[in-house]
Amino acid sequence: MKSVVDMQVTLQVSTDWLFQLIWILAFIFIWVYGQRIQTILTLKEIEGSLSRLKNMRDRGRQIVISAIKEIGKPAEDPTPRVDRLLEHVDIEPVSLDPTGIIRRLEHIIDVRDFRLKEEVRQMAPQADEAQINNLTNVLEAALALNHVYKIVRHYYLMGKKTLSFYVILQIQMLLPLIMRESEAFANALKAFTLGQPIGDGAGALVAARLMHGNKKRLIAQDTILSETQIEGRKAYVIKAKGPGGNVGKPGEAIKQILEEEEGKVALIIMIDAAQKLEGEKTGEVAEGVGAAIGGPGVDKYKVEEVATKYKVPLSAIIIKESIEDVVSTMRKEIVDGVEEAINRIKRIICEGTKEGDTVIIAGIGNTIGIAQ
Amino acid sequence: MDERESRRTPVFFMSIIIFMLIMSLAALLLAIEAYLVQGKLEIINIILSASALFLAAYMFIQIRKRSISLGFETLKVSTVIRCLKCDYKNVREFEKGDYILRDAGPCPKCDGTLIIHSIFRESKEKD
Repeated sequence: MKSVVDMQVTLQVSTDWLFQLIWILAFIFIWVYGQRIQTILTLKEIEGSLSRLKNMRDRGRQIVISAIKEIGKPAEDPTPRVDRLLEHVDIEPVSLDPTGIIRRLEHIIDVRDFRLKEEVRQMAPQADEAQINNLTNVLEAALALNHVYKIVRHYYLMGKKTLSFYVILQIQMLLPLIMRESEAFANALKAFTLGQPIGDGAGALVAARLMHGNKKRLIAQDTILSETQIEGRKAYVIKAKGPGGNVGKPGEAIKQILEEEEGKVALIIMIDAAQKLEGEKTGEVAEGVGAAIGGPGVDKYKVEEVATKYKVPLSAIIIKESIEDVVSTMRKEIVDGVEEAINRIKRIICEGTKEGDTVIIAGIGNTIGIAQ
Repeated sequence: MDERESRRTPVFFMSIIIFMLIMSLAALLLAIEAYLVQGKLEIINIILSASALFLAAYMFIQIRKRSISLGFETLKVSTVIRCLKCDYKNVREFEKGDYILRDAGPCPKCDGTLIIHSIFRESKEKD
């Protein structure tokens, strides 16, 4: 009986040793190949996001094709043309000699916009001007999704080839932000197809409210000007021509008004949507000085240049929103922010100018779904 | 993306997970056996079993982790119609062709002009 117990204890000790050895080997394996396992895990995570980006890209492409077919009633299948346009590239002007770079950049942007609109016009012969603008916006959102997908795929494949933890780490760190932005573009596709106003149009909505019911004229390409009276001051209100998806040329419009008025303008107020910081509320309104306008910088440069030339003060009103809200259907909080911005404009005008003065109010942003 | 590669990775990870689970079970059995035969509590084996189980579970969650949203969800969008003369207001669901400041016919209350005042989506997202 005693020898059986002894045998059991001996067996227990030897299996103990065997398992201890396996554990030690397992730890050595993890110690040696730990980073490689981590690399593979990270690659797996990127792969999941990449597959979602691919789905978004494919759905985006499909939405563009069906929107063109539905709205434009083309005689031939637009698919090959859409596929060609999704690979469209813009080459920035050379910056080694920065003299005149804004003028050159503006030229390239103009050519790009013209080319895209022409392509859409040819693909959708039955579409009206507003629909062509909306379809161009849909195409641009799909183009952005395709571009993002390709960049992430590039880093993923490069990381897989080199198995370099640091190459993979770069894309993994940015991935949450990239995914947020891509989801925003995916939402934008729906809003653009239906012609719904988007968060970026907050500034345009302010201007639309102020110019509604007044006489309007085209002052620059796709840009509308209206003259109105606000608190006893003559106000020139500017916005992009809606309800199609347009941003217009507010910089050029402000420049023209100042030239026409020979600089006799008491104040320029620019209203635009601006990216909020985490923790700030959507639709919150803030005031400041400077040219409230985003984009590649052409319009901002023009406004700053002409305001400096005539020494006209520049006031800014911004309506805060997240990156997702900028390109997706306008939120209720942003509409409330628009009403608050109008009150602020009136207050700024009363405090900063005298009765009989002339002011310029520019509502900046994409005017999709907003007429005037 | 390489289709073959994406299929191979879960197999590799699943084998590690299965290996971890076997090791965890073995360590646990050793601990139980030691307790029953010798009456002593083998803390090392218990810790090894628990950590292997935790690692296997962590790896499994990492592999299965997928976000649900693709960004193509249908949103509830409302159109607000208001009269330019009186306080008449009507909120309805967004219809194709709606845009802000579009004429929406005569007012049923005062025969004034109705316009689309705003179009927005209600969001449940927290700021």
